[in-house]
Amino acid sequence: MTFGPDCISVPIHQNSWRGILFRQIDPRSPIPLYVQIANRLRVAIATGEMAPGTALPSVRNLAAVIRVNPATVVQAYRELEQAGVVESRQGAGTFVRDLAESRRESERKREARRLVQRMVQEASGLGVTHEDLESAWQAELTKRGS
Amino acid sequence: MLAIETNDLTYRAGKDFELRELCLKVREGAIYGFLGPNGAGKTTTIRLLLGLQRANSGRISVLGHDVPRHVHRALAETGYVPERPHLYPYLTVGEAIRYHGAFWKGFDHGYAGELIEMFGMPEHQRLARLSKGEMGKLHMLLVLAQRPKLLVLDEPTDGLDPVVRRDVLTALLDFCSQGSTTVFISSHLVHELERICDWVGVLDRGRLVTELPMHSFKQGIKRLRVSRAPSLLGDTPFVLLLREQTPFDEIWVVRGWQAPMTQWFEGAGAELKEVVDLDLEEGFVEMLRASRSTSGL
Repeated sequence: MTFGPDCISVPIHQNSWRGILFRQIDPRSPIPLYVQIANRLRVAIATGEMAPGTALPSVRNLAAVIRVNPATVVQAYRELEQAGVVESRQGAGTFVRDLAESRRESERKREARRLVQRMVQEASGLGVTHEDLESAWQAELTKRGS
Repeated sequence: MLAIETNDLTYRAGKDFELRELCLKVREGAIYGFLGPNGAGKTTTIRLLLGLQRANSGRISVLGHDVPRHVHRALAETGYVPERPHLYPYLTVGEAIRYHGAFWKGFDHGYAGELIEMFGMPEHQRLARLSKGEMGKLHMLLVLAQRPKLLVLDEPTDGLDPVVRRDVLTALLDFCSQGSTTVFISSHLVHELERICDWVGVLDRGRLVTELPMHSFKQGIKRLRVSRAPSLLGDTPFVLLLREQTPFDEIWVVRGWQAPMTQWFEGAGAELKEVVDLDLEEGFVEMLRASRSTSGL
């Protein structure tokens, strides 16, 4: 790969794809940060964005890149391990497990439900009716489908 | 085990300022955010913890050492970035590192070199010619290379631009993930603390308003929209901090909230219309408003 004259290379720990993966992490949300990080990784695994056997970033690296407490990352990884979506190998790190398609599908559906729940909740807080939401939803799908 | 503990710490300065019966408990390995408005007594508390000022009464223990009696033992393992650090302006960056390093037994010159590289610091530049941001990085570098068990940071990123703040926090977190350091960080940059801290203590007018794990603080404090509320309430399962009338309904700010508590409203003949989550900043502001209204000030 060649770089143009305006392109500078920066150390990987400061500008890796991992930071981009976690750009939606919101420290102000009432959902604890470790849950947000774990969920984001579950989705990436379920959609295939992170393939089986992929190494998760080290705790040290991820904490520094997304600027969260290292203990938060440890907690997120522990939750993923308990859920059986990743496995830690002694001394080597934490890796994405090879999940059955049915499992990946149920993870994707879980995320879809979460997204819809958030939308419906926000709408009712604003006083937008379910009918209005429904028709906007249909219109958006039609637009995307065309 | 506790890295910092104070019992009934009281300190008076003139008629107008008093730290009253402060009981701080900072667990080992925690990143503890010490929040409070300007003038709340954060810097004074820090100076008391490090034996730079003497309390009128109460007890202080830092890393298991009694302060002020054995403060030198505590300080040998503590990295401290004061609000206004002093470094000799005619030293170069490299000289300042060697000078500072001479005072600390376990000072890690190799690590200091890594940090110089990571921060992109000009090693041969005199401190007088460094920008504010570069000075901020240098202060963090010096305390991290001490490899302390406890870091006490008084507004470490105050006045720094966002890029420098990021670099400084990244270095701090990278250091924290290498071992079990305790970090006691005072700041009014609430959003920054929200990312990194797992404990929060809120100080206002010399009093500790609350001290909780970050998630309990954020989960527990809510703003509720309530209608048809009776003017006299019996026992509530939550702590009602504030109650305000609006033309349509009432706004309550509560503490110790849990989801099943929505049932209480039916029994009380009121209607709970909305539960609004608060972020750390809003929670902090509401808590201060409440503590000030109850203390009659």
